Amino acid sequence: MTALIATLRRELASLWLTPLAWILWLALLLIEGGVFASIVTSFATNPGLTLDVGPLQAFYGQSVFVPLTFLFVCPTLSMRAFAEERRTGTIENLLSAPVSAAAVVLGKYLALLVSFTVLWLPTLLYPLVLRSVAEVEWKVVATSYVGIFGLGAGFLAIGVLCSTMTRSQFLSLVLSSGVLLAFIVLGIGENVFDRGFLQAFCSHVSIQSQLMETAQGIVSARRMIFDVTLSAVPIFLSVRVVDSWRWS
Amino acid sequence: MIEVQGLTKHYGSVVAVNNVTFRVDIGTIVGLLGPNGAGKTTTLRMLAGVLGPTHGTISIAGSDLLESPLQARACLGYLSETSPLYPEMRVGDYLTYRAAIKGIKRRRRPDAVREALSSTHCDDVIDIRVSNLSRGYRQRVGLADALLASPPVLLLDEPTAGLDPNQIREVRELITTLRQSRAILLSTHVLAEVEAICTEAVVIHRGQLVAHGTLQDLRAGHRAADVALVVRDPDRLTPAICADLGWGLRPDAERAVESPSVDAGETLRFVVYPEQLTGSMGSRLEELVAVLVKSGVGVRGVNQSSRALETVFAELTSEVGTFAP
Repeated sequence: MTALIATLRRELASLWLTPLAWILWLALLLIEGGVFASIVTSFATNPGLTLDVGPLQAFYGQSVFVPLTFLFVCPTLSMRAFAEERRTGTIENLLSAPVSAAAVVLGKYLALLVSFTVLWLPTLLYPLVLRSVAEVEWKVVATSYVGIFGLGAGFLAIGVLCSTMTRSQFLSLVLSSGVLLAFIVLGIGENVFDRGFLQAFCSHVSIQSQLMETAQGIVSARRMIFDVTLSAVPIFLSVRVVDSWRWS
Repeated sequence: MIEVQGLTKHYGSVVAVNNVTFRVDIGTIVGLLGPNGAGKTTTLRMLAGVLGPTHGTISIAGSDLLESPLQARACLGYLSETSPLYPEMRVGDYLTYRAAIKGIKRRRRPDAVREALSSTHCDDVIDIRVSNLSRGYRQRVGLADALLASPPVLLLDEPTAGLDPNQIREVRELITTLRQSRAILLSTHVLAEVEAICTEAVVIHRGQLVAHGTLQDLRAGHRAADVALVVRDPDRLTPAICADLGWGLRPDAERAVESPSVDAGETLRFVVYPEQLTGSMGSRLEELVAVLVKSGVGVRGVNQSSRALETVFAELTSEVGTFAP
């Protein structure tokens, strides 16, 4: 546990000591702030608008920008996790230390999760601001963040796995972006296929569907199992890959 | 303290290390020698737990590296060839992090870091970012990292690479001091360093162990010394007698004229070496001189010169036996 916490703290320091996390934070807040402002403005300037969702549901569940932010935030945050260690050779220091591969992988992964949470934290101000002019359904806010966090955790785990597969940060970024893009494209399939297995499969893996559900205050076991699987499988594989370096 | 049995590493069809067996005890500094690509770094990386062997066993301080990897790795300090560090971290923070993952208790960490920095003369860079350190300082911080938690086994890959002469002397003194309570295996290309601080040497060539022993044994056991014979007449007889007795002739020095005819005829200088040393060098030499004198060869002088480790290394790692008669 000591090694895991030490790795987590080092990774956090490493991420936030470099400009990368700050640039990501700025970009994310600019995009999300702009989207939220435009949604609220749209609702305010069209009082006759009769929709079955409010501005918060529209922001968390229907905006395409939330899935798109996953596409640039998760791969960028996770690309250096192992690729950089292997490129610079610092991985040798880790592999020769009395620490297990699982502790190293989990330490790095938890640091990414904490950073991801910090990146999204300021968006909690949006419902707080909205509260001064309208009623806010806090359950919707809570479930929406559960959805965002669940998907973010899964995509960060995929990013970590991609980072173990190459010494190049750029290649790691391309690989994990490709996988995320595949999820987004598969999600579109939900609306392409009418019914049957393909439609059910696409609906199951659809990022947009999950965000729409959680933005309506629904947290289903099916989605949670999907998110946990999306995190656990790549993390397990990452541990195996790190262990396999000793035998390569 | 370090026990290696039948260590082998394959990279596909390439055999990088082949059936290497040796032992490093506490209180000894063993130099791991070999030409480039001989398998030194691969051997050290396997001992450090960075690479797994294809065959063979490694025991570190009594723990099998494959069966109890965490326990074994807790007993070793490893300085890798390039001493890689995290550039964005300050030296003190980096070593504190390393102390944590090496299992040093939180309260002990500041003292452990200070001690390691002090012993490597890096106290003054504790607040400096690694990216701003010179090559020499980075090397010493890497060494400080290896010393954290006072491991009983040290594996040092080129520990003085990139250091200036004063730093080299300091690091050598430090390693010599550390020897008291540790088993130290260091890889280096600098044979003078091995002669200066190592008690034993392991020589690897093309992945195979070609020699292991004290430096004295290596010099003595492998064509231990050159012997220059100054003889008077007859020059044709001397090489034959030497060869019959199992002494080789150095082709480069053979038949050099020592001094032209002084009293009774010509004096010639032969440089010879024992092909295989069985028994003491002194008794072999006595036997040679006795036979030469009995055969009527006047022996006017015998000079025995100890061979430098460099020569022994060259012979052990040369492709063709340079000194084959």
